[in-house]
Amino acid sequence: MTRSADSLPVSGINAPAVEGSGTMTNQAPNNAVDTRTNADVISALRYGREACETYGRDDIAKRITELLASVEEPDVRVVVVGEFKQGKSSLINALVREEICHVDDDIATAVATAIRFGETFKASAVIQPIDDSSAEPQTIMIDRREIRAYTTELAQSRPDIVVKGVEVELNRPLLREGLMIVDTPGVGGLGSAHSTAALGALSLADAVLFVTDASQELTRTELDFLNQARDLCPNIVCLLTKTDFYPAWRKVEELNRGHLQRANVDVRMIPISSALRDFAVKRNDKELNRESGFPTLLNILKNEIVDAAGTADRLRASKELAAIGEQLAAQFKSEKQALEDPEAAAAVIKDLTESKEKLDEMQGRAARWSTTLGDGFADLSSNVEFDFRARMKTVVLEVDTALEETDPLDTWSELMPWLVNRVSGEVVANYRFLTEQSASLSADVGSHFDFAGEKAFESLKIDNPLRVLGEITLAEDLEMKNVSTAGKGMTLLRSSYSGVLMCTMIGSFAAIPVTTPFIIGAGLVFGRKGIKDEEERLVAQRRAQARQAARRYCDDVTFNVNKDSRDTLRRVQRQLRDHYSERTKELQRSTMEARKAAAEAEKKTVIERTTRIREIDKELTRIATIGARAAALVGGNR
Amino acid sequence: MSDEKQPLIAQARALAIEAKRVLGPEFTTEVDTILGRIDEPLRVAIAGKVKAGKSTLLNALVGEKLAPTDTGECTKVVTWYRDGHTYEVLVEPTDGSQPVQVPFRRDGGAVDIDLGSRRADDIRRINVSWPSSSLRKMTLIDTPGVDSVNSEIGERTVRFLDSSQESTQADAVLYLMKHMHTSDLHLLEAFHDDEVSSPNPVNAIAILSRADEIGVGRLDSMASARRIAARYEDDPKLRRLVQIVLPVAGLLAETARTLTQQEFNQLSALAAVPPRDLEVHLLSADRFIEARAETPLTSLERAHLLDRLGLFGIRLSLPLLRRNVVTNSSELSDELVERSGLVALQQILATLFVDRADVLKARSGLLAIERICLRDRTRPGVDQLLVEIERIMAGAHPFKELSSLAALRGGTVKGKTKDLLRLERDLGATGATPWQRLGLTENATLDDVRTATYSEIATLQRLAESPFSSHDLAAACRVAIRSMEALLVAEPA
Repeated sequence: MTRSADSLPVSGINAPAVEGSGTMTNQAPNNAVDTRTNADVISALRYGREACETYGRDDIAKRITELLASVEEPDVRVVVVGEFKQGKSSLINALVREEICHVDDDIATAVATAIRFGETFKASAVIQPIDDSSAEPQTIMIDRREIRAYTTELAQSRPDIVVKGVEVELNRPLLREGLMIVDTPGVGGLGSAHSTAALGALSLADAVLFVTDASQELTRTELDFLNQARDLCPNIVCLLTKTDFYPAWRKVEELNRGHLQRANVDVRMIPISSALRDFAVKRNDKELNRESGFPTLLNILKNEIVDAAGTADRLRASKELAAIGEQLAAQFKSEKQALEDPEAAAAVIKDLTESKEKLDEMQGRAARWSTTLGDGFADLSSNVEFDFRARMKTVVLEVDTALEETDPLDTWSELMPWLVNRVSGEVVANYRFLTEQSASLSADVGSHFDFAGEKAFESLKIDNPLRVLGEITLAEDLEMKNVSTAGKGMTLLRSSYSGVLMCTMIGSFAAIPVTTPFIIGAGLVFGRKGIKDEEERLVAQRRAQARQAARRYCDDVTFNVNKDSRDTLRRVQRQLRDHYSERTKELQRSTMEARKAAAEAEKKTVIERTTRIREIDKELTRIATIGARAAALVGGNR
Repeated sequence: MSDEKQPLIAQARALAIEAKRVLGPEFTTEVDTILGRIDEPLRVAIAGKVKAGKSTLLNALVGEKLAPTDTGECTKVVTWYRDGHTYEVLVEPTDGSQPVQVPFRRDGGAVDIDLGSRRADDIRRINVSWPSSSLRKMTLIDTPGVDSVNSEIGERTVRFLDSSQESTQADAVLYLMKHMHTSDLHLLEAFHDDEVSSPNPVNAIAILSRADEIGVGRLDSMASARRIAARYEDDPKLRRLVQIVLPVAGLLAETARTLTQQEFNQLSALAAVPPRDLEVHLLSADRFIEARAETPLTSLERAHLLDRLGLFGIRLSLPLLRRNVVTNSSELSDELVERSGLVALQQILATLFVDRADVLKARSGLLAIERICLRDRTRPGVDQLLVEIERIMAGAHPFKELSSLAALRGGTVKGKTKDLLRLERDLGATGATPWQRLGLTENATLDDVRTATYSEIATLQRLAESPFSSHDLAAACRVAIRSMEALLVAEPA
């Protein structure tokens, strides 16, 4: 549905213009950076979309619609992690001022619980029949009182179902901006999940609240966890809980700072007390609330974490809008160029034709970028797989060596957690390899589109979606530290990554056979000497058994991880393909329309030209408002 | 050589003397150490992860603030506290050179040892001699916490307790933990040795050592901790590692045993303030310390009380004083010791460790000699020694009891829970006195004991001969029958 430039309905563009562009441009500088809501982002995007629709570019409009969807329903995941019994659930309850997560001296949280905004209270659980792990998980609505039964250790002992997760919707202003708080099972309790599960959850998080109580300084295990976590999610805040109960919390805080500094883990630490916050809420006591440390935490959640995500959205929207504005303007600009200087018209048309030809080449399966993408992902898939196999091979070798020197009866109980921990480390490393490699591959594919930036279409260079946020430096005056990290830049990858990783790991962990010390009793019956020879044989047998169990475990993990990474890569590939081919189509259309306009311009009379130039100037001014709004989103005065 | 009729400890001593002769001068010092150990009080090691409250509990058990305690990690070297005639601190260097006496001063009661220029790494252990009636019954060994950020420190404890080490140094172990963490379990397992010394369900007790913190200082914290301890005790993973799980509020116990009159007076002054006025100051530690005009005591005094008792101790003491449940410092001290769970721990220690000290010591002594022998089996007479050790180990009834108990708790013996629990009790899991083994009360008469014993033997015999009983169960029954018969023999005429 090409529409010739001169038939553009001038009145059409007025609708969005009236809706606010004029005033918006004037207001922008005053209204700049610190806007808590993203209403301006939404309205700017809608404005851009209407403009696209007016100019008949429904293809670009569609892209904005997708972007709008993610901005309108922002999703900022804050995952609360830590060792068990450190007060994670109490913290969350105190944050949302309601007893959602079950708190008990003994029974610990065993199932991840997500709390997000909803107009009314609603709770649901994702369950799966226990005997059929291939069945699709179902979501069932549950009662407020049932939350406990679905989230605590009690849920694990249910004979019929496996509870995969619980989601609660709650009407709280805190959550309104898209904040989702996730309570995770504590690490380290008897029968609670391994730290891998928490690490898996981290790779999907925008920010992490690491909870440790003031009873003592950080332990080795906690520091190790923080060290690993930092690689997966750089935005970590350490919360020192129960400061009401431990008089020496300041000392602990100071010691922890020292430990963190020495371990080179750069995270903030905030002392808080959920108990004091509860009292404060009950008595409506401002001073108590201040003492509880929650205002500081809430401030960080709102102004830094949610805003950082908002800023990222804002930057993305701004950049996209600016690019769209220029793309829309481009066709008018080339037409104008052709109109103003008929001599140059031929050159403009030639350039555009070349671009068009190149873009035509870019279409279809035979296009070079498409080959790079297809081949690249095939290679990457096998590289990632090989990388993991190689890692597992080393692990198996280490297990074998360890077993050769010892009797599994004595060492298995130590070896098993070591193995799980070692493997989980390798899974994380492999996952990072995957993300890095796909980002660089995506950049390679993007480089095929570099030509577009050389000639007619400046700034139309197609972005590498995997790095989009990492590279944006639109507004130097904005604090970009939190945004430009690798973890943030991978929105696309994240939406592809299924999170199977963590479920897989727990499942396999449970599958490790625990060898019982079946031999202790024998000493009773035969005297100790009598069983010495038998002992030798049994040790050999146990070694073989242990080796086999370790191998089987590694095989299981390899199988699942490889399947997971293959699926993830396939999804990323598909998304990249769609991204690039749609952008190609868009560019193609823009080029085509520009060329057509330029060609028509050539044929026009002088008077027609003058009129048309005036019209075009008007259109360009209108289109410029899109750019202005885009700029206004990130700080205005540019 | 040794006579089976002799008590076990004497047999072990005789064997050690024989070993000294057989092994020759090369091993004299080593065997002498073992011999000395047989005659010394029982050695009880206090182990656990970093900040589990090991030093605090040690102080509570001694009844004196001996071991230094701090908010940060404090104990860095394995430290022995034993009864002695004089106050003395010896430092044993790692290089095996002679122990050196070092100066110390008492810092607020705690022994502040001046290590001079020595680094913790160069010290194998510190030996503190201290005249104390509590230490006369058992030597207490304080160990550095495992899972320390400084991994070196933790390794010292692992080395100390590791069951595969040349000579195991503790006869029994108190394992302290804040919660049952999987890493606690792994540590216990690491120290655990199914046949020999080191923690084993017969000589290890797990303690929830900061029990008041489980309920974050609520008044019902101890009850809650007791419930949790009971649940842990039933956990099969833990059952095979420890005999019993007990909650103790360590800090409260320590302070209760060392409570001063001045502290009592300060608490009384606080108790005189109407609860309503005090409530808001008891909400948090910071609030309690902050000086308020309407409350008595200075900030410093309040900080001191808090440091000594914790919020839990203060919240617990005030109602006791207000309701006149206690009226003087010794009554308050007794009440708090009772409520801290220390009394229960002391009773358990008495029945499980002290009453069984000879058996435990003989066991570690024999095992230590066996280890020396196994190092070089070619030496003449060594094989004979090993056979002798084997004979004592296999023949001595107390050892059979211990290994049957281990098997029962380890879950290798299959049978009905009711029967298994009965067997554990008969074998002395809850205490070695006749009334404890028979499940009677303390004031049971001789006749009661005799009647109960006969009926118990009959039951056990039926169980042993039942075709439904597994082989292991029947074997355990036979050991228990022998234990019951011993009760009849030992009964005073």
